[in-house]
Amino acid sequence: MTTAPILAARGVSKFFFGNRVLRDVSIALQPGRIHALLGENGAGKSTLINILSGALRPDSGGVEVDGKTYRALSPRDARRAGVAVAQQELGLTSQISIAENVGLGDFPRRYGLIDYGDLARRAKAALDLVGLDEDLASPVDDLPLGRRQMVEIARALFREPRVLILDEPTSSLSAHEAQTLTGLLERLRSKGVAILYISHRLNEVMRLCDYVTVLKDGVVTADRPMQGVDAADLVRLMVGRDSGHLFPEWTPVADREPIVSVAGLSSSVLRDIDITIRRGEVFGIGGLVGQGQEDLLLSLYGALPASSRSATFRGRPGLPRSVRAANDLGLAYVPADRKREGLHLAHAIAWNLMLPSFARAAALSLRRRGAERGLAAQLADRFTIKGDLTRQVQVLSGGNQQKVALAKWIPGDPRVLLLNDPTRGVDVETKREIYGLLRRLAGEGKAIVLSSSDTPELVHLCDRVAVMRQGRIVANIERQSLSEEAIVAASMGAETARAAA
Amino acid sequence: MSLSDPVRFPRVRARAILGSRPFLTVLLVAAVWIAASFAKPGFGAFGHLRYLFELGAVVGLVAIGQTFVVIAGGIDLSVGAIITVSAVGAPLVAIPGDGSGAFAILAILAAATAIGFLNGLGVALLRAHPMIMTLAMATFLQGLLILIAGGSAVSAQNPLLEWLGDARPGGVPAGVIVWIFASALALAALHATPFGARVFALGANPLASTLSGIDARATTIAVYAISGFASGVTGLLLLGMNGQGYVGIGDPYLLSSIAAVVLGGTSILGGAGTYAGTIPGAILLVTITALITVVNASPGWRSILFGALVLALLLLSGREARRR
Amino acid sequence: MSAAAETGARLYFAVQRRRNRDARGLLLVAAAFLALYAYLFPGLLSVGGFAKFSQSWLPLALVSMAQAIIMIAGGVSLAIGAMVSLGAVIAATSMAGPLGVAGGAALVMIVGLAVGAACGAIVVRLGLPAIVVTLAASFIVGGAALLILPRPGGAIPAWLSDLLAGDTPVAAALLVAVVVLWKSYLATPIGLSLYSAGENPVAAYRAGAPVDAARIAAYAASGLLSTCAGLFVAAQTGSGDPVIGEAFTLNSIAAAVLGGVGFLGGRGAMRGAIAGSLLLSVMINVMYFLGFPPVAHYIAQGLIIVGAVALPQFTGRRSGA
Repeated sequence: MTTAPILAARGVSKFFFGNRVLRDVSIALQPGRIHALLGENGAGKSTLINILSGALRPDSGGVEVDGKTYRALSPRDARRAGVAVAQQELGLTSQISIAENVGLGDFPRRYGLIDYGDLARRAKAALDLVGLDEDLASPVDDLPLGRRQMVEIARALFREPRVLILDEPTSSLSAHEAQTLTGLLERLRSKGVAILYISHRLNEVMRLCDYVTVLKDGVVTADRPMQGVDAADLVRLMVGRDSGHLFPEWTPVADREPIVSVAGLSSSVLRDIDITIRRGEVFGIGGLVGQGQEDLLLSLYGALPASSRSATFRGRPGLPRSVRAANDLGLAYVPADRKREGLHLAHAIAWNLMLPSFARAAALSLRRRGAERGLAAQLADRFTIKGDLTRQVQVLSGGNQQKVALAKWIPGDPRVLLLNDPTRGVDVETKREIYGLLRRLAGEGKAIVLSSSDTPELVHLCDRVAVMRQGRIVANIERQSLSEEAIVAASMGAETARAAA
Repeated sequence: MSLSDPVRFPRVRARAILGSRPFLTVLLVAAVWIAASFAKPGFGAFGHLRYLFELGAVVGLVAIGQTFVVIAGGIDLSVGAIITVSAVGAPLVAIPGDGSGAFAILAILAAATAIGFLNGLGVALLRAHPMIMTLAMATFLQGLLILIAGGSAVSAQNPLLEWLGDARPGGVPAGVIVWIFASALALAALHATPFGARVFALGANPLASTLSGIDARATTIAVYAISGFASGVTGLLLLGMNGQGYVGIGDPYLLSSIAAVVLGGTSILGGAGTYAGTIPGAILLVTITALITVVNASPGWRSILFGALVLALLLLSGREARRR
Repeated sequence: MSAAAETGARLYFAVQRRRNRDARGLLLVAAAFLALYAYLFPGLLSVGGFAKFSQSWLPLALVSMAQAIIMIAGGVSLAIGAMVSLGAVIAATSMAGPLGVAGGAALVMIVGLAVGAACGAIVVRLGLPAIVVTLAASFIVGGAALLILPRPGGAIPAWLSDLLAGDTPVAAALLVAVVVLWKSYLATPIGLSLYSAGENPVAAYRAGAPVDAARIAAYAASGLLSTCAGLFVAAQTGSGDPVIGEAFTLNSIAAAVLGGVGFLGGRGAMRGAIAGSLLLSVMINVMYFLGFPPVAHYIAQGLIIVGAVALPQFTGRRSGA
């Protein structure tokens, strides 16, 4: 069991904008072993992968390849040592063909030109391994998301790696594709490849992996063989506490009057959705990733074109036709991808907090700096955002950024808050604060619509949950029958949903 | 939680101001002026410096619009053509009963603003890339010019414009006065109104701005309309100073306006910058041009020097963060 | 070996066929205009007529390709026109001298490659925005052209002018040659990596693609095409003119965008840019032939460019924010 590792990190630390992302992390990848790397979003997994593959340099510590220690491993060193990464964020070039994408960066050549014969043969072999039977010549643009993920994995296999790093490979794969992948990984293990496997699907990890390293807030909380570990242990190690403590105590309001009701909402993605949102409640929206939850929120928010049979927003008929109209009706939206959609990263915290107010105020009125500062400081106090508000938002941790994205709406006194996965990539402590805050806002009589990929959150925080699947609401689950099983069952298929409900 | 909470809003350090791009550009202008006064007697004379400000006003005025557009994440390649149209068009729209020439001025400013408005419509509604939209507009206007002017120069014949070009109330050229007023307005609009904040927001992250309730279309249309208006003013001022309008009169100002904006520290990628930097940027630009003229170089050398200096200044005064 | 070569060839040509898809509509429009032009001006179908047409098209085609390469690399060039002028004056001053035609042509190419690569190195290595660097470069290059030849003059050997711009369709053959060269460049690892470097530089770098080299090489290739266009223009007129290239900057952007090349990098293909330049060129010829005043050219050109960009807004409404 004490084989020498091919690739190892030794006491690695890394900082971004003064925030510590990794502290003194060590991990060793041995041949013939599938090694699981677990941790919540934001725990530092991607940073660790980037350090192992040479894409980032650690601020302290080193990377060891075949017993040789590098202070600053370059991507080229890593590739030469046989390290290949299949990234979670897709890095394919949409206009060039599948085969060319698979070979990118390592094209076989003859007389200085790409050897298309060799490329075709080897790309075919790599694609066969992942069970992808597509025309080699078709552009990647034509492939659905899951297939692109397989191309990404084939690209890593094309290099016949000794170390294979897979970053959430199954997040967009169908069950069948995931099964093919499992078989493939077992074969590679028997050939002596060292595999680092990152996934959120615990049972998959426990079935497949031999060894596990758990990261929490940039620190290793476990590094041990998989044998004798159970799922609950792993969750505790990742989260740091039992999930029960995360959520606030609350009692539901009995009589909740509707504030928004829409019937027959349809768009290019949504199919005939009926939805009623009530004052004083947290209304959850669940389901597998990408079943139309975001489209539903954006359609209610006037940001995506949609039609409805009937719609009433705070007594007024019709869907809002623009974000401005939605804001005027008292709706606010907090996006899932806060860096791209929610915040202006290079601008000051205070400025970001004031942005919706700038959108509301008369265009050419004079701004009052004193009042702006007072308001921003007040918001920061209420949301426990610490320190200097003239700093750029990007220096804040993910959790604090999320608080800014939420707090900026409060001055406009919104009646309906549409939240798209607000705790994604947020540390546990901030999660707890956000949960408490959402319940308090609901207690003040606001309506909260919470779309989430985190099932426990839906179970413990919501008055009721609608589960979406392929653009429809397939189940409405009231508080008394809310459970993780009920939500998961409804997400997976209509048949099982009925059985569970 | 008092308004001057030193933790939430620490006092702006003197070093931060001294290290800012606009201030560095001012320093650069001062350094160049001092060096040039020693090297070339007469450069530092009041009359000559006043002349530089007069030239700077022309670049500075057109750069007002360019600053707004660039901060909002766009670019306006039609400013040169709008200047030419304004300069050539003003004498043509004069009506007999209008002794002062005020009508022609108003008509031209309205037309220039409308052209900018159309640019904005194309960018905001047709979603044409700003470069394409304004480029096409420039091409279109070139055709229009040949139609209305037929290629020959036209002279001003407009008392108000002649005054604008020649008068020096209190020793300050009228053009410079216009520039000072316009600069104050531009700075106020950019930094002291919600509109200005929206312009910055739009340039930094259009998607997040829209989702925060900012009307991206209206803001986009407004910045291009401002650019059209500023170009119109510039065209009229040029006509007043030259006495004549001709096809091609506005051409040099496209590149100068972009260079002044970028030298002043405004990001060409949008979302960051200030007109306070563009002002010394414009003066730096005309100073460089004047110096190159002073050394009596051939047009070729002048152009090379100009390009090389602009490039060198850019390299010196900080690079753009690598965003792509 | 032969089996492998066969799959290789099959893969290569299948890839090429798929890439034609996007340019197909545009090529149809261009063909329709060409047919209209041939109908109005049957002389087009003669060797001489075709030769004249291809001569009027070639420089625009070359600069459109030059612009498209940089746009695919994720930038834009405002120095194309100045580079054309530089190529023209170098050709007009060197070819009649001791260097001769071959030496002069080599000089034009070397200067184009070197200046292009220098711009590329500044943009890629120093991280300055392409639009500003090429703007400054346009002054420097334009100034250099004025230094070499302050006013129109110089000479191109008559035989060369006759060869390139005479009654034989040499220009068309040259275009075919350039396309073949481009195809072979795209079949090299560094050439094909250009698309990845333009679309997603970080991912391409992590995959091991030569991102920086591919982008700098793109600027060099663009410079080469621009100065060669200048050489051809000089041969057409028989002399050099230091400002002859000015209009090409804007037209090159117009043709590339018309051809579906995107501003964000990695989008579009050379065949699109060539088709775009063909469309622009035929249009100008047709309007000229119909006796439209020059005013109409400008106006029509402006409308067509905006129309081409705006059209997708009305035909294919996309959902999603």
